[in-house]
Amino acid sequence: MNKTLVLVVEDDAPVRNLITTTLKAHDYRFLKAENGENAILGTASHNPDVILLDLGLPDIDGVEVIKRIRTWSNVPIIIISARSEDCDKIEALDAGADDYLTKPFSVEELLARLRVTERRLAYMQNGQVTGAVFTNGALKIDYAAGCAYMQEKELHLTPIEYKLLCLLSKNIGKVLTHTYITQQIWGHSWENDVASLRVFMATLRKKLEKESGTVQYIQTHIGVGYRMMKVE
Amino acid sequence: MLSNIRKSLLMLLAATGVGFLFRYFELSEANIIMVYILAVLIIAMITTHQIYSLVSSFISVIVFNFFFTEPRYTLTAYKKDYPITFIIMFIAAFLTGSLAVRLKNQAKKSEEAALLAQKEQLRANLLRSISHDLRTPLTAISGNASNLLSNGEKFDAETKHQLYLDIYENALWLINIVENLLAVTKIEKGKMTLKCSTELMEEIVSEALQHVDKDKAQHNITVQFEEEFILAKIDAGLIIQVIVNIVDNAIKYTQKDSHIEISVGKKENKVLVTISDDGPGIPDGEKEHIFDMFYTGRNVADSKRSLGLGLFLCKSIIEAHECEIRVENHIPHGTEFQFTLPIGEVTLSE
Repeated sequence: MNKTLVLVVEDDAPVRNLITTTLKAHDYRFLKAENGENAILGTASHNPDVILLDLGLPDIDGVEVIKRIRTWSNVPIIIISARSEDCDKIEALDAGADDYLTKPFSVEELLARLRVTERRLAYMQNGQVTGAVFTNGALKIDYAAGCAYMQEKELHLTPIEYKLLCLLSKNIGKVLTHTYITQQIWGHSWENDVASLRVFMATLRKKLEKESGTVQYIQTHIGVGYRMMKVE
Repeated sequence: MLSNIRKSLLMLLAATGVGFLFRYFELSEANIIMVYILAVLIIAMITTHQIYSLVSSFISVIVFNFFFTEPRYTLTAYKKDYPITFIIMFIAAFLTGSLAVRLKNQAKKSEEAALLAQKEQLRANLLRSISHDLRTPLTAISGNASNLLSNGEKFDAETKHQLYLDIYENALWLINIVENLLAVTKIEKGKMTLKCSTELMEEIVSEALQHVDKDKAQHNITVQFEEEFILAKIDAGLIIQVIVNIVDNAIKYTQKDSHIEISVGKKENKVLVTISDDGPGIPDGEKEHIFDMFYTGRNVADSKRSLGLGLFLCKSIIEAHECEIRVENHIPHGTEFQFTLPIGEVTLSE
């Protein structure tokens, strides 16, 4: 029996049924909420492990729900948005959401996102993120020494590449927006910074992949941002 | 504003010049008056506001008085009937000017109306075509679902599986259409509203390949970059849609195990994307039509139906980026699409 408890917040009954049926079929425990107020109440009283949150709710804006929940809880939030809400998606991620699904999504996608989040949860509970040494698959970062290794070989990174790698590793499993990353690295988010970011990410990824082969550590989300994947 | 004043002054100057020429040839004052009225008429046509022809009418009377009536080079006039001449000249000049302005406005209005009608026509065509083409998958989905609901227990497992599969595939087809329709809605007044940013072409191509038809596994798709880190200033979502549409077409119209090659390079200060396949190719007669809206070439089996929107959209999107798309024969056989994109530049932040 899978013990992960998922809170499903979706006002549209067919989509809610689709999600809950999928969860049931894969042995997840779940709760339902059809508006923002119930979502906040449900989070407070049942303390779910993951929240699936639709952005277009009838009572409160989805982004507002995230902000309110984030005042007391760090529970992973996966937002579900329709394509027309592209800016909302970024706003929601910046407000503290961890990941997103775009409608129409497939059942496989939904399950994949849940697995990513579960892995991240397990990782957080082991305290591996807060330690002085970070490990993810064959990737190792020694924060104190300021060095990164892949397959025990030291990676030769530029200062910015190293900063990026640290930022991503500290937020493993979470999608970081372009604005968030450039703010953290350069202190501002000008158009040129975002363009620079793409080039630095590409060089960083090449250096990682040169040693790791086909294993993908950094995932690109076009128009949104980047994320480090938890590698087994 | 400044150019309007300049135009008006130039016309009045020209009229005065002609006036002096007329006087030199000892032509009557009436001819000179006509020249000024003509000048005001032209000013009304070439300037953007009625105020210019009004002021010009007034100035032309003064100038005529100054240069061409006795005593010359003063603002007084000896003959008693001159005041009447001036008033009539002013009214005549002003009225011709107003008429010209009205005529011009009417022409502009009818042009706008024609453009609007054209847009409406486009929308109507689109709606008709879509509602027609959506019926087939919707019939399949609702019919199969209704069969499963009412007679579900009578079907054996294999039949049921086929029904589920049909529902699933038709729904996927609808999803694909919606992506293209969303892009179409961005076309306003024949122009597209773009949200451009500097993107890495590698990221764009690999994202696009994640969205191509699920049949891609049966084809050999290769990607090649002529140099590292090619940047383009584009609307990422729309360009991904262009690549998806072209690659989907290549998959649809070539046999299993065909080769599809995507290559990205630079040419004449543009990014050049080439997508080629070694399928049967497109007959020369059809090449000029394939970018037209609702054009569906060749005899496509019903299972591979098409709206005829994909390539039309590709062309609209590329042209909105002020670039070009064209189709060529691939040697020895097959099709080759080429499109350019504006190059992106970056000075790396430190």
